[in-house]
Amino acid sequence: MAVKPFGLVFFPAFDWALTPTHPEREERLLYTRDQIVEEGLLDMPGIREYKPRLATLRDADRVHIGVPDIASHITDAHLVSAGGAITAAEAVIKGEVARAFALVRPPGHHAMRVVHGTRGFCTINIEAVMVEHLRRHHGVRRVAIVDTDVHHGDGTQDIFYHDPDTLFISFHQDGRTLYPGSGFTDEAGSPPAIGATINLPLPPGTTDEGLHYVLDNLILPVLEDFRPDIVINSAGQDNHYSDPLANMAITAQGYASLAAKLKADVAVLEGGYSIEDALPYVNTGIILAMAGLDYSRVVEPDIAAAPRGLTGGARAYLRELVAKQTALWRDREPLGNAAAAKAGDFWTRRRGIYYDDSGISEQQVEKLRLCPHCHGYLTVASEAEGHRCGYQSAFAAVVPREPCPTCRQGAKDAVLAAKRQGKYRHYIIQDKENDSLERV
Amino acid sequence: MLLGIDVGGTYTDAVVVSGGKVLAQAKAPTTHDDLLHGILDALDRVLAGVDAAGIRRVALSTTIVTNAVVEGRLERAGLLLLPGPGMDISSLVPERPWLLSGYIDHRGRETAPPDEAEVAVACRGLADCEVFAVAGKFAVRNPAHEQAVAAWLRRYAAPAHITLGSAVAGSLNFWRRANSAYYNAATWRHFGRFARAAQAAVAGRGVTAPLYILKADGGTMPLTTAGERPVEAVFTGPAASVLGIMALAAPRGEAVSLDIGGTTTDIALWRDGAPLFAERGAKIGDYPTAVRSFWLRSIGVGGDSFVRREGGRIAVGPERRGPAMALGGPVPTVSDAMIVAGAADFGDKDKAGEAMRLTAADGESVQDTARAVLGAAADAIYAAIENMIDERAAEPVYRVEDAVRDRRPQPAALVGVGGAAEGLAPLVAERLGVCCTVPAGAMVANAVGAAVARPTIEVTLRADTAQGYYTVAELGLRSALPSRRFGLADARELAARHLAERAAAAGIPVADVESVYDEEFNLVRGFSTTGKIIACRLQIKPGVFAVEEGA
Ligand SMILES: [Zn+2]
Ligand SMILES: [Zn+2]
Repeated sequence: MAVKPFGLVFFPAFDWALTPTHPEREERLLYTRDQIVEEGLLDMPGIREYKPRLATLRDADRVHIGVPDIASHITDAHLVSAGGAITAAEAVIKGEVARAFALVRPPGHHAMRVVHGTRGFCTINIEAVMVEHLRRHHGVRRVAIVDTDVHHGDGTQDIFYHDPDTLFISFHQDGRTLYPGSGFTDEAGSPPAIGATINLPLPPGTTDEGLHYVLDNLILPVLEDFRPDIVINSAGQDNHYSDPLANMAITAQGYASLAAKLKADVAVLEGGYSIEDALPYVNTGIILAMAGLDYSRVVEPDIAAAPRGLTGGARAYLRELVAKQTALWRDREPLGNAAAAKAGDFWTRRRGIYYDDSGISEQQVEKLRLCPHCHGYLTVASEAEGHRCGYQSAFAAVVPREPCPTCRQGAKDAVLAAKRQGKYRHYIIQDKENDSLERV
Repeated sequence: MLLGIDVGGTYTDAVVVSGGKVLAQAKAPTTHDDLLHGILDALDRVLAGVDAAGIRRVALSTTIVTNAVVEGRLERAGLLLLPGPGMDISSLVPERPWLLSGYIDHRGRETAPPDEAEVAVACRGLADCEVFAVAGKFAVRNPAHEQAVAAWLRRYAAPAHITLGSAVAGSLNFWRRANSAYYNAATWRHFGRFARAAQAAVAGRGVTAPLYILKADGGTMPLTTAGERPVEAVFTGPAASVLGIMALAAPRGEAVSLDIGGTTTDIALWRDGAPLFAERGAKIGDYPTAVRSFWLRSIGVGGDSFVRREGGRIAVGPERRGPAMALGGPVPTVSDAMIVAGAADFGDKDKAGEAMRLTAADGESVQDTARAVLGAAADAIYAAIENMIDERAAEPVYRVEDAVRDRRPQPAALVGVGGAAEGLAPLVAERLGVCCTVPAGAMVANAVGAAVARPTIEVTLRADTAQGYYTVAELGLRSALPSRRFGLADARELAARHLAERAAAAGIPVADVESVYDEEFNLVRGFSTTGKIIACRLQIKPGVFAVEEGA
């Protein structure tokens, strides 16, 4: 065949659930399985199905700082899901397929750098684990992640917040109206990476028209300008008009044409909880669109129920949003310089993180060294209340990729100094250059 | 006594089997323009010393359907599809379809009705068709639309036959069911004519036993049933060989079997005495179908494979340019190498030696050349086996347990049948590091397989307790559940009853029922369980009569 096939990793995890009646349960991809098998999609000559591999703990440790460690928070399902994302990406990198979709569960985009438990149904960030695997083993550097889930991809944002080589664009229902309550336009990256995080909070009820306005006028031009080595779609499908967890108005056609325009190299499934009325159609539409096949006939049986059109107010809001974020992207260098000058040698932020699925409250202090020679080392001091075992705490330092000697030493010294003071239970050095996670 | 007939590419073999032993065997040239002629020839020869009245069953493995497809002798069938919203498969089916309105969703609910007027229009467009195939998306969850369209077809056309997609297979895959239904309709008349003639001719020889036909999955169907489901008789040749192996030397544990013939070697993988099935169904030409079949790979290496040097290296097959030089053929073959190496004993040894001399490198002895030729042939077969095992290991899984417990199959034994098995199978086994069996009767394994193949049939039951109904796709049945408290065990019990009914209707004895598949999901709506979706498939296990049973 002259045209490369499309790769699909389908892993519905039919024997895994967060709890029996949780939205993230065995049944979630059942009707999607029924639809894609019934359509004959898995037999199409242009579609190649792959079996997911298992990600390793090392793959997870490359991204996360688990407290006390990552192994105590995850099940095999997480390793298969992240492994499925890696399988999809490797099929693309090796040139076996033109693009690929990891239609896997459990999801991952709410999992942050530090992991005390499960939040937003996510425990490890499967896209981030995939990205860092590609960087480590396949020489990928510049990565663009477009998060199309209705919820803000706060975990992915957190993990790449200081990394100018990772462009993270998330559109989502406005955080004032939906979990996790973040993803506003002022969350734009720390000083060395300002503009590499772009948030697009959308008003509830946004339709295909509104979404494609943002896509055409901001997302696609910025992607073009960034020139990534690889484009990843964090493909949540809960913007659908029938989704029970959100209030948006996107259709299967809206999602499929989004996938056709975005032309992501790899898509990874995130949320989507309208398991009967949306997922079978949205997933089929996305697969066909990514495979370059005709998706025009994929229409929900209850399409008449889909809200249409866009109010004048919403239209004006979106115009303003696009203008504002276009300016952020255009002026990212001077903005970054100004922020760095204001911060001095270290940029610091303090915040509280709530783990809704585990009932854990975490307090975090991050300090990033603003280094003229490298991406700078990062320290994270984390204290969490509400673990099964009560209080947990850790102090970690992250050595960046290609560190300068000062930052490498600085990271180590910071952890040793913290250990001497003895305020935390765990002391950890995550070294991105040497690919290690060391307990001190 | 059981009588088996296998119509092969060159010869039609017939055997009479009793108590697991071959009592008589015979061969006649296959008559391609009129298969029945060669079949009767072989039948007469094998019955020469046998009491025809003692034959209790005749089973036939024939290429009649495959040939009809390959040679394009298909009757044009009107193809009517109800694709609903989703992928457009119009360009992916063997005949330009008429697309009809109407949609059944994944839970078997009607979301749009079919339209009688459209069928009337289609009938005018298909005025020259007498056979029809109707397939609807999710019809296995609710066949009402397919059945309505069939009724309208009878009103607006005068169909000689209608195949419904949901009746040819109970599993999901609209595209495969549409292709299967089409081929079933398109071979229906041709096959029926053959079946009637075969039945009459066999009866004319004093054999009163019923005539069965082999299926691609190794089961048999009474000819009367087969008339409605001819598509299941594609690819019976390799299925017969696999059954022959099962009867002659069923391998235990994980194993590989080889049927090494003149031009090709058919490879099958085995687990616990049973061959593995193709995951989704067989392909007919370029079209995937829902026809269940063994998982086989055929590679172009056999006794008659053309042997030569290419760039200094020995090359074997896939081309055949005639028989071995030892038998007067024009070019060196694998069989010539086997004769020189002492692994076979037929034909003119000097001619075989000459064949090896033609193939030898400078200063190489003919013995060394022969060994090198057999080594190259064995290498090619070995590579294909490894490839199949890799493919099996890469088969997608949908449960965490299966993903974690992942293991590459590791054959522990090899069984070889077919004309060139003696010479090649041991060499392949050596490369795999396993022991090798070439059973007695290996030369007529296919006919033996046909003789002893057990009849088989399956049903797929799917229950939706929230909606309170269940379907048995193969029976076109959709009815109310006996109770809302309905579990997997109830589903299996109900399926077993329907299997028994279906078997009785087809004249098949019910024995060795096995569950081939089941799943059970809770339906949760608004954080409470509202019902279950349960699916199970039962079948009468394909296999062989170890001793003569009730057939
Ligand atoms: Zn979401
Ligand atoms: Zn530095």
